[in-house]
Amino acid sequence: MASRRHSHWRPHVVLAITSLLFLTPFVWMLSTSLKHESRIFPKPGKPPQWIPTTERLDDAGRRLVVYEGREGVETGRDERGRHLIEIQGETIAAWPEDFEVRQKVGLHWRNYPDAFRRIDFFRNLRNTLFICFTYVIGTVLSSSLVAYSFARIPWRGRNVMFVLVLSTMMLPYQVTLIPLFAVYSKLGWVGTFKPLVIPAFFGVPFYIFLLRQFFLGVPEDLSAAARIDGCNEFGIYWRIIVPLSKPALATTALFTFLFEWGDFLYPLVFLQDERQYTLALALQQFQSQHESAWGPLMAMSTVITIPIIILFFFTQRTFIQGITLTGLKG
Amino acid sequence: MRTYAKWLVVAVLVAAVYAVLWPRQAATPAEQEALAEGRTLIVYWDRHSGHEHEARRALIDEFNRSQDKVYVRAVPVGYNALMEKLLTSISGGAPPDICAIDGTIMAQLVGQGCFTPIEDFMARCPYLEQEDFFEYVWPMVAFDGHVWGIPTTTDTYCLLWNKNAFRKAGLDPERPPQTLDELEEYAARLTVRTQTGFEQIGFLPWQPWDLTHMWGLLFGGTWYDQVTGQMVCADDPALLRMLRWQRSFAIDPNSTTNAPYAMDPEKIMSFQKGFGDYMSANNQFYAGKLAMITEGEWQVTFIPKYAPELDWGVAPIPTPAGAEPRAYSSTCVMDCVPQGCRHPEAAWAFLEWFNSPRPGGTSPASDYNYAIHNIPTRPEEAAQQRFMADPKFKVFVEILMERETVSSPVTPAAQFMSDEIERQRERMVFRKTTPEQALRDIQRTVNDQLARVRKLLERSGP
Amino acid sequence: MSRADLRHLRNGLLFASPYIAGFLVFVLYPIAASLYYSLCQFNVINPPIWVGLENYQILFTQDPLFWKALYNTLFFTAFSVPLSLVFSLSLAILLNQKVRGMAAYRTVFFLPSIVPIVASAVLWLWVLNPESGLINGMLRQFLGVDGPGWIADEHWAKPSLVLMSLWSVGGAMVIFLAGLADVPQVLYEVADIDGAGRWTKFRHVTLPMLTPTILFNLIMGLINAFQYFTQVYVMTGGKGGPVDSTMFYALYLYRNSFYYLRMGYASAMAWLLFLVILAATVLLLATSKRWVHYHGE
Repeated sequence: MASRRHSHWRPHVVLAITSLLFLTPFVWMLSTSLKHESRIFPKPGKPPQWIPTTERLDDAGRRLVVYEGREGVETGRDERGRHLIEIQGETIAAWPEDFEVRQKVGLHWRNYPDAFRRIDFFRNLRNTLFICFTYVIGTVLSSSLVAYSFARIPWRGRNVMFVLVLSTMMLPYQVTLIPLFAVYSKLGWVGTFKPLVIPAFFGVPFYIFLLRQFFLGVPEDLSAAARIDGCNEFGIYWRIIVPLSKPALATTALFTFLFEWGDFLYPLVFLQDERQYTLALALQQFQSQHESAWGPLMAMSTVITIPIIILFFFTQRTFIQGITLTGLKG
Repeated sequence: MRTYAKWLVVAVLVAAVYAVLWPRQAATPAEQEALAEGRTLIVYWDRHSGHEHEARRALIDEFNRSQDKVYVRAVPVGYNALMEKLLTSISGGAPPDICAIDGTIMAQLVGQGCFTPIEDFMARCPYLEQEDFFEYVWPMVAFDGHVWGIPTTTDTYCLLWNKNAFRKAGLDPERPPQTLDELEEYAARLTVRTQTGFEQIGFLPWQPWDLTHMWGLLFGGTWYDQVTGQMVCADDPALLRMLRWQRSFAIDPNSTTNAPYAMDPEKIMSFQKGFGDYMSANNQFYAGKLAMITEGEWQVTFIPKYAPELDWGVAPIPTPAGAEPRAYSSTCVMDCVPQGCRHPEAAWAFLEWFNSPRPGGTSPASDYNYAIHNIPTRPEEAAQQRFMADPKFKVFVEILMERETVSSPVTPAAQFMSDEIERQRERMVFRKTTPEQALRDIQRTVNDQLARVRKLLERSGP
Repeated sequence: MSRADLRHLRNGLLFASPYIAGFLVFVLYPIAASLYYSLCQFNVINPPIWVGLENYQILFTQDPLFWKALYNTLFFTAFSVPLSLVFSLSLAILLNQKVRGMAAYRTVFFLPSIVPIVASAVLWLWVLNPESGLINGMLRQFLGVDGPGWIADEHWAKPSLVLMSLWSVGGAMVIFLAGLADVPQVLYEVADIDGAGRWTKFRHVTLPMLTPTILFNLIMGLINAFQYFTQVYVMTGGKGGPVDSTMFYALYLYRNSFYYLRMGYASAMAWLLFLVILAATVLLLATSKRWVHYHGE
């Protein structure tokens, strides 16, 4: 029907435009990673370049320039440092801001091998993957157990306990970092990966909360029926709640992986050897006190980001799978 | 059975993944070999990362090869969370053996017993006496009766100007402003306005970052009394003059006598926001947005790298009328030995090597300075040919050698003071406070902070 | 308590035991320590010295920057949280269709959450640049007006940050998507049979079923907005300028803790913030019984 089609295109247009906006940081990152240093930041008064370019040269290797609307070739410099431009037979001396060098599309691939040379990429990758994997496993397992307790078992004091769990997220990290470090120091864990992975196995409040909300959404009759059938709590958890909560568990896994992949502070504070550094820490190597090697930095950032994008793209189905509850009723 | 098979597969997969990912021995082969040889392993935290760290590491490798008692492991810590890492480690009992930090951090932490005094070590070394260093540098590392670190690099500021901008404005490109009045005059002539803002601003006293402290000292004012340990800036006439001078760069809507170089503060802010990355071809000075700027000696290396086309000059900052010509150094970077270091002797072995001349040659410290384009902390080294060869770099070194050099005071509230001065200066430029009130507020808040910090230190005992 | 109650208590504690154990080992001491520090003067290295409520007193009576920071953060939270919630919900609903290309769209909207902050910041600085940036450039070109100073202007800096925060709705959007996936198809089918139109279905099936997720995103949004820090730091250099307009509470706290070494003072700030967030959360949770439908109960 005409009205239905009509009402469908508007959101799509809005979506398309908004998505273009959202694509920009990634496109900029990608584009910057392929630019030579001199072109990364927009020239004063000009917009940034989206497509990486290089200078156009003529057959003799001289730069092609445009001066006051006319095309010419740069032939050299004079004693005052001005550029000599030959246009239609005459030679003009000009300062850089008065002429433009013609550009052609050119990708500065060199940034990529350059980036890999600056850091110990594969070692950092391995460290990061180790931390991420372990953290994901620990979080999913422990947080779902604890969330089950808050959502599916009616015990006295669980609401208070739940608020306690939530409240631990309300204290800014700056004031707990020092005593936390002291705890790990006493345990002898400083300088190892332990502070970065072991706490995951004890429940992470954010995901406990998330999973609790989802677990609360499973109809109570399912649990009741299972209990009547003689199932114990763990059985209900394992056989009913978990299978029905795939989207929430998948979200938990994805977010945990994402967060650990990019986490900078905890690895910095608790690791003591460069060879243990994660990718996020290694990115620091591209920045010195006053300068950043933007080209290689963006190249490495792109390399680090792309796996996550691929991961997200292909695991989406787990988020949007619809749930049917037929067959479990009665 | 099927479920068991499934779980078996999962378990095998997980085991396989971990077989690949499980963290291996953290030490490098070189380090393992060193430990096998019975060397003492010490850890050096470098606040630099990137190429500055590479320069340091090259020298550390040389040290490791040159003897067989000590092995130094270099860890680049970077700036982003340096304080968090340093503080947690020292307070948590897991400090590095040597740490490179700068003066402001040192000043704040020394009172708390963060560092090991090294004057006894230094007494053993013929090349590290107080007289060997620039006079102004020594108070940054030696106070409360002890020496807390060895200064390795320092810096200073001069006036840089864009010769091409001068030409365009009809000024002699070889003649920088000699007095502050001339600086103002040039600033007015070099400011090019557009319909909405600016194409170029002649000069801004708070570029590339807030330098109010420096200007105050250059005007002949006194911020802090070293003897009483108190801020004394309120009502200091030189400081008032300096603040009014900075404020004069912003138009006062209620006044009929704005300076010719004064500009709309909102427009200035907007213009500043468009400045590119400090270290890139789009730095405000390289890109011609600021015709004159006060900058440090590192620009001598960075300009040829990022803006090879730039035609620029460097000269000492014009001295304000009625003040003595001075040089300003913001801080120095120093190597120090944190408290709780387990191998102070080994740490000292490295520090001694690093700061002493090699037989018949230069010291590694001066090599390091040359590599990262800072100024050595010892006049003898700063006078080396390689530093003096570049006429532009020479200007920086010369003012340090020839003039009385002033710098930030060493107090346990150094960071707070610097932030507070910047805040008040910004508020004053936007006419949210007056110069008199700004100075009074600075004095009051910083003294409060100092009192609090000192009281705490006192009660913590020696 | 009945035997069933006791059994439930035992089971409940058993399932929660990983958290309880972790709490006792990793969480309790740091939290208790920070509370203790808030009642002390503590410069991190030397042992804390007891001063009672002095830090709190100074905060309330002698520190105008404290109030400014609180105001800045409240302003930001008041705008960013509702806007983000509505935006992420709308996106999730729009993208919850099994249509080709939706997977790509979903990835695109999630992208800003993945791209390193350092890259996003540079880009946003260009977008918001008062002189030559995208927004002002377009305003000038198409509407002939001068745009505001955005992040450089004390009146526009916070709105700029609110705008930027809408960028990172990808996370909330994904959670909403997961929540939408949980809505039983059956209910939609029943509604169809009843002849309900799209809007009615949304209002009476989708929205009520989503309320647990809405509550989650709302509370987490609040908790994060009150502690908003990293993006502010990256976009403004962490000094709170111009003229303290971007001195957010967490930023001021951070400066006090690791820069000025007033860890006791910072801890007092932290606990005050904690109380505010806790109050807001408890309020939300208590009133949630009215509008949140858990179809398990």
